[in-house]
Amino acid sequence: MEDLERILKSHPFLAELAPEHLSFVVGCAKNLRFRPGEYLMREGDREDQLYLIRHGTVTIEMPGANGDPICLETIGSGDVLGVSCLTEAAAHLDCRARDTVVAIALDNACLHRKMDEDPRLGYAISMRLLERTYERLTRARLQRLDVYR
Amino acid sequence: MTANPYVPEMLAIDRAVREIDGVVTFTLTPPGGFRFAPGQFNMLYVHGIGEVAISISGDPAEPAHLVHTVRSVGTVTRAMTALGQGSVLGVRGPYGSAWPVDAVRGRDVLVIAGGLGLAPLRPAILHLLANRSSYGRITILYGARSPAELLFRDELQRWRGRFDCRVEVIVDHAGHDWYGAIGVVTQLLDGVAVDQGDAALVCGPEIMMRFVARALEQRGVPRDGIWISMERNMKCGVGLCGHCQLAGSFVCKDGPVFRYDRMAPLMQVREL
Repeated sequence: MEDLERILKSHPFLAELAPEHLSFVVGCAKNLRFRPGEYLMREGDREDQLYLIRHGTVTIEMPGANGDPICLETIGSGDVLGVSCLTEAAAHLDCRARDTVVAIALDNACLHRKMDEDPRLGYAISMRLLERTYERLTRARLQRLDVYR
Repeated sequence: MTANPYVPEMLAIDRAVREIDGVVTFTLTPPGGFRFAPGQFNMLYVHGIGEVAISISGDPAEPAHLVHTVRSVGTVTRAMTALGQGSVLGVRGPYGSAWPVDAVRGRDVLVIAGGLGLAPLRPAILHLLANRSSYGRITILYGARSPAELLFRDELQRWRGRFDCRVEVIVDHAGHDWYGAIGVVTQLLDGVAVDQGDAALVCGPEIMMRFVARALEQRGVPRDGIWISMERNMKCGVGLCGHCQLAGSFVCKDGPVFRYDRMAPLMQVREL
């Protein structure tokens, strides 16, 4: 547990989280490893985990017109997957390990419970998710502009 | 070059290499050589068609050859990119300001390019690498539309193979045969160490430069640590005709390389 707490603390998503909150969150966390090609998340699945990527690359994909997957973005060490975990939304994209991916998975139900129990923790996590959502929205806008055409 | 700044020197093309679809690199050999500073441009003239401003993409340490990388986007560049070895181009220049390669000695340097913006930065990169011990960390971040549209691909591989600089490439879209990063160039900043003492040289479409400058500022790099290369409709090249006027500056004479603190307020003004 102590080791997991140290790993959580070193992830940029949880940087500067109050020590008491970190200890609180660690109970929702587990360390996972995905083999190349393995899915972290499938379209339509309930988003029941928030993944903090530690190592490796994850491709965010959706099926193209002919059914072949189109890769929209790659994310890696320090990134977060499952930013809509606070909502009831189901995953709308496939997320697949391109190489060996090591991630911390935070169980959403557990995280929600703890955020409800301690609103200060709830605020801290919500703000971090909002920042990540905004960053991804900014990137998606730039990508959509197709500036190099 | 010629004594009269409006008279181009006519030079035969020694080599024309198709880099990617619609982009050609020309090598010319001016008698007496051609000295320039990284970031400067020439006015290139296609006989009977017209003249355009094109950045120099060659090695400043090799003045025997003049190198330009041109994308076919309009009437003049379409005619230009159709030229081959032995055809003649008119050349006036070099004009404009340069990347601050001397002023940033001793600092960590981030070179951030988007699309064809790698061409005007290539002379600066070659200078930095040729004078490697004069600089701190050198990081080259390059974004392109797709893997097929990556400019200077072999050279990127060579730079990546060096142990004394870091090269990261990202593309907007790619198929599953691409094993690099997919996304936008600002994303690459998440994976590199950036601090307020860094110098950043940025070139690409204006909107990309704005996004990059904002991302750099968020990471602590002040506006006076960022340089960008602006593009406007240049005609005379010497600050007389006013076609490239941008508020109180002429892009051809005061630019194309500007420090970002000078350009940032103007870039937020619509229709400028």
